[in-house]
Amino acid sequence: MILIVNSTFDDQISKEVSAAALERELDIEVIEAAPLKISHCIGCNHCWLKTPGECSVKDDYEIILKKVIHADQMWVISDTALGFIDHKGKNIFDRILPICTMYLKFKGDQMRHVMRYDKKTDIGLIITGEADRDYLKRWSERAALNFGSRSLGVFNRNEIKEAVSCM
Amino acid sequence: MHVMIINGSPRVKQYSNTDKILEKFTAGMSENGTTFEQYEISDRKQWDKIREAFDKNENILIALPLYVECIPGLLMEFLESLTPKKDDSKIAFILQSGFAEGIQLRCGESYLKMLAGRLGCRYAGTLVKGDNFGIRLLEGAQREKITDPYTEMGREFAVKGDFSSDECRKFTGPEVFPPFVRAVLGLVFMTVAKRSFKKAAASWGCTRPLDYRPYN
Ligand SMILES: Cc1cc2nc3c(=O)[nH]c(=O)nc-3n(C[C@H](O)[C@H](O)[C@H](O)COP(=O)(O)O)c2cc1C
Repeated sequence: MILIVNSTFDDQISKEVSAAALERELDIEVIEAAPLKISHCIGCNHCWLKTPGECSVKDDYEIILKKVIHADQMWVISDTALGFIDHKGKNIFDRILPICTMYLKFKGDQMRHVMRYDKKTDIGLIITGEADRDYLKRWSERAALNFGSRSLGVFNRNEIKEAVSCM
Repeated sequence: MHVMIINGSPRVKQYSNTDKILEKFTAGMSENGTTFEQYEISDRKQWDKIREAFDKNENILIALPLYVECIPGLLMEFLESLTPKKDDSKIAFILQSGFAEGIQLRCGESYLKMLAGRLGCRYAGTLVKGDNFGIRLLEGAQREKITDPYTEMGREFAVKGDFSSDECRKFTGPEVFPPFVRAVLGLVFMTVAKRSFKKAAASWGCTRPLDYRPYN
């Protein structure tokens, strides 16, 4: 399953993604996250040390968390700010922490957390507005390392066909 | 010099590792007359005041934890609400993280370099240091072993006004650990570290295994 999380208020983008994915007969699920109540991560570490795997912030992010652990891919559609994804998009990634455990290991030459679930979810980004695309590519590759997965690329809002061809 | 300091951690001040780092850093920085004011992003009630101080001050220091390879979402939300500056302000950063190797923070550091420009400020460097996760879990001498070295960096910053000195660059420590160290640490992770995480969890009232799967 491919999970699409749209953190922008422009549902036209996710509609275009759905249409293109349908053409390729991909199994996708879309979550319109902008109208949902999704807080930032407050860094309490409860998901690691108090209620393992569960976030202490009880809001709509749980919908995403329960899906992402079954998803082969997660594509986040995000607005941009200050050259990067904006805070709504970044919160989607920060709040994903419960899928990692506190435990540590080395993967290659770097430390990583041991993942909580077997499924590895690759990540892709579709962005609106101006941002430093080369930086975002580098960032998404680094972010994916933390989830034991790969980055599928960073695409502009007007490159939906290209993005879907990488799904 | 007067420095406006922002703790960019979403974690409340009392538990924030960044706060404990800043405590030591500012002690060193203030030794010879440098003054500072400090704010916390975790407290939304301060946001108006922080914006005002950002507009007024020329020496700005943002200290922050690495969150998924870049800046925390909450800090991003605050920064989005700023008006970029047009004066000759300088901005420096302290970037600290959980993982220990320098390489883990470089992607975040690159963003901070870009961010300074986007905020209309000159970039005055980033003090980069990992291996800070334990601060919150440790007390007394064990905690100070991690935080004390920041006092010297505060002194350096007071003299130079930036983080460009060799001492600051060396402060990061190794970019990656050599294979032998990795092998030893790998064993530590499976034994001593695992035990100490379980102990910490028990003291927080945790009744489940740390690799528990609530949604399977
Ligand atoms: C949501 C989240 C994401 C994090 N991402 C990273 C990361 O990518 N790399 C890393 O080394 N540490 C990461 N950390 C660990 C923090 O940077 C570290 O624990 C820091 O000392 C916390 O400082 P604070 O208490 O001031 O917030 C993350 C922590 C949280 C809560």
